[in-house]
Amino acid sequence: MITTVVGSYPKLSPDAGAPSLRAAISRHDAGRITVEELRRVEDDVTREVIQEQIDAGIDLITDGQIRRDDGQTYFARGIKGFTINGLIRYFDTNTYYRHPIPERRLEWQGAIGVGDLEFAVAHSARPVKGVITGPYTLARLSQMGCYRDLRSLVMDLVPILNREALALQQAGAEVVQFDEPAILQHKDDFDLFAEAVEGVTRGVTARTAVYTYFRDVSGIHSRLFQLPVDIIGLDFVAGPANYDLVRDFPPDKMLGFGIVDARNTCLETVEEIASAIGRVSRVVSPDRLHVNPSCGLDFLPRKSARAKLARLVDGVRRAQEVRS
Amino acid sequence: MTRGLLTTAVGSYPKPEYVLRARARVARGEVSPKEMEELEKRATAHWIRIQEELGMDILVDGEMYRGDMVAYFAENWEGFTTSGLVRSYGNRYYRKPVAVGPVGRSRPTTLEWWRYAQSLTPRPVKGMLTGPYTIVDWSFNEYYPTREAFLMEVARAVHDEAVDLAKAGAEYIQIDEPAISTRPEEMEMAARALAVVTRGLEAFTITHVCYGDFAAVFPQLAALPVDMLDLETANSNYNLLDLIRQHSFGKCLSMGVVDVHHHETESVEQVKEGIRKGLEVLSPERLYIDPDCGLKTRTEEESVAKLRVMVAAVREVKEELGIE
Ligand SMILES: [Zn+2]
Repeated sequence: MITTVVGSYPKLSPDAGAPSLRAAISRHDAGRITVEELRRVEDDVTREVIQEQIDAGIDLITDGQIRRDDGQTYFARGIKGFTINGLIRYFDTNTYYRHPIPERRLEWQGAIGVGDLEFAVAHSARPVKGVITGPYTLARLSQMGCYRDLRSLVMDLVPILNREALALQQAGAEVVQFDEPAILQHKDDFDLFAEAVEGVTRGVTARTAVYTYFRDVSGIHSRLFQLPVDIIGLDFVAGPANYDLVRDFPPDKMLGFGIVDARNTCLETVEEIASAIGRVSRVVSPDRLHVNPSCGLDFLPRKSARAKLARLVDGVRRAQEVRS
Repeated sequence: MTRGLLTTAVGSYPKPEYVLRARARVARGEVSPKEMEELEKRATAHWIRIQEELGMDILVDGEMYRGDMVAYFAENWEGFTTSGLVRSYGNRYYRKPVAVGPVGRSRPTTLEWWRYAQSLTPRPVKGMLTGPYTIVDWSFNEYYPTREAFLMEVARAVHDEAVDLAKAGAEYIQIDEPAISTRPEEMEMAARALAVVTRGLEAFTITHVCYGDFAAVFPQLAALPVDMLDLETANSNYNLLDLIRQHSFGKCLSMGVVDVHHHETESVEQVKEGIRKGLEVLSPERLYIDPDCGLKTRTEEESVAKLRVMVAAVREVKEELGIE
């Protein structure tokens, strides 16, 4: 069993003396520090959250996405043709992101997250995941702009994000993960989604993952499990129906098992986590599990995120003891 | 002559500098709660006077003594604590209420403030409450086994508050539910909770909703157990009025005619145009006029300018159409 995270990690530490990204951004916005000084604070916070994940016992980490305002604009700002519009709600969460608009036909103009990934790899004793907002979700969370239909927007994003995936692999990503929560809101689009996943992973030899969250995968599960990727991530907190659906989980794939609620501070007990692992292990053997929180941890205060990861690791250990 | 087109506001107004400064100092113990209350009263009186001078019909107290619309209730009720900082978007953070025990009031929460505001004016002042669904959705839950259990307990507390306001003489009671359309699958449960709040209430009840895919849930919105729905219509170019045209709608509508997210003030002509669009779908008796949402994010000058244009536009439309 591998312990991992879905991606984001809370940016603000409550600890005295910890570097404050919040203060640094305000100072930068007020013109009191340079962009280089702001980058140094981002570096410090990134090192800090990498260490927190490692200290919690997480095997496969991310950079915590400290430098991302949100998962959409981080990529949209790096793709030629996008402009960024006003705030809009992110799914059913009480958080907001800025709405990307493709004003002109989208074009690749360079790698986006490679510098951040290289930084994380250089500062982590553990392997690092590269996380990309997948083409379907990025299109769905953008306006249509100059595109006449969703398909052409998705299919223009595919080669751009495929180059990004190849660049992350080159930079040392252990796993290249595509976050695709939007497909669960629009299951009728599965054919387009499958075509996009196939295209975006083409030529990637690192292990690949597609992560879904915020709902269950009923209605699309068997087709989802056949996608040409190595790891499929499911949210078992928002989607308890997933326990039944993974009875069809194919033997050649790994399951991203999202069991700790990353949207509520209520701390699961070690027994709850261990028994959830026991339950899913009846159909997916433990050596094929990536155990992680239900979604990114940025919805929680830092202390709670830390406690959740520590608990997740304890739960995994307990489950291993029970088996051995 | 027909009557109608009464003017009102959604709830919050910007706090004057002396209130904002004092709030920060209360947190540091440099200003006593009593002194703080005096400043908040002064600011409330200021806004009541502004609204009277502008000639608005139904006034609000402006919420000088409230921070966040959910946190305000949680801070004053039993059973809640406050979380560490969580991110809303970009560099914006807030503290979220956390239910840690049975939640509810030990004494009336808003009653004294309503009484104070109403003592300053002969015009009706609305009682302003936050709805149960929004309180639950914007809080962490570490106590209740289900969302529904949490929701129904909150609904009972909001109901008690509404009853106190009605008994004290509040003719209008608004229960804000900005989150209510977040999850179509929970609308039925949210409506049941709102029914608990308004059951047997002797007052004209209003609910304000914003941010959402209203088209998907409009029949449910139109059936909410309140007398009037308050919608932000200006910022969607009055497209929401089409929904009223397309569905059976038996309620009154409080129609937003100025966009609260923009600094620029609309012209009287623009607002008149909006009001005329409203009158195409509803009679003046059933149509109330207000800004799209609370004005607390605008400056005082911007807020007053927007309200002045709104009142002037209503006056001109009334004259043109012979409405009293
Ligand atoms: Zn609103």
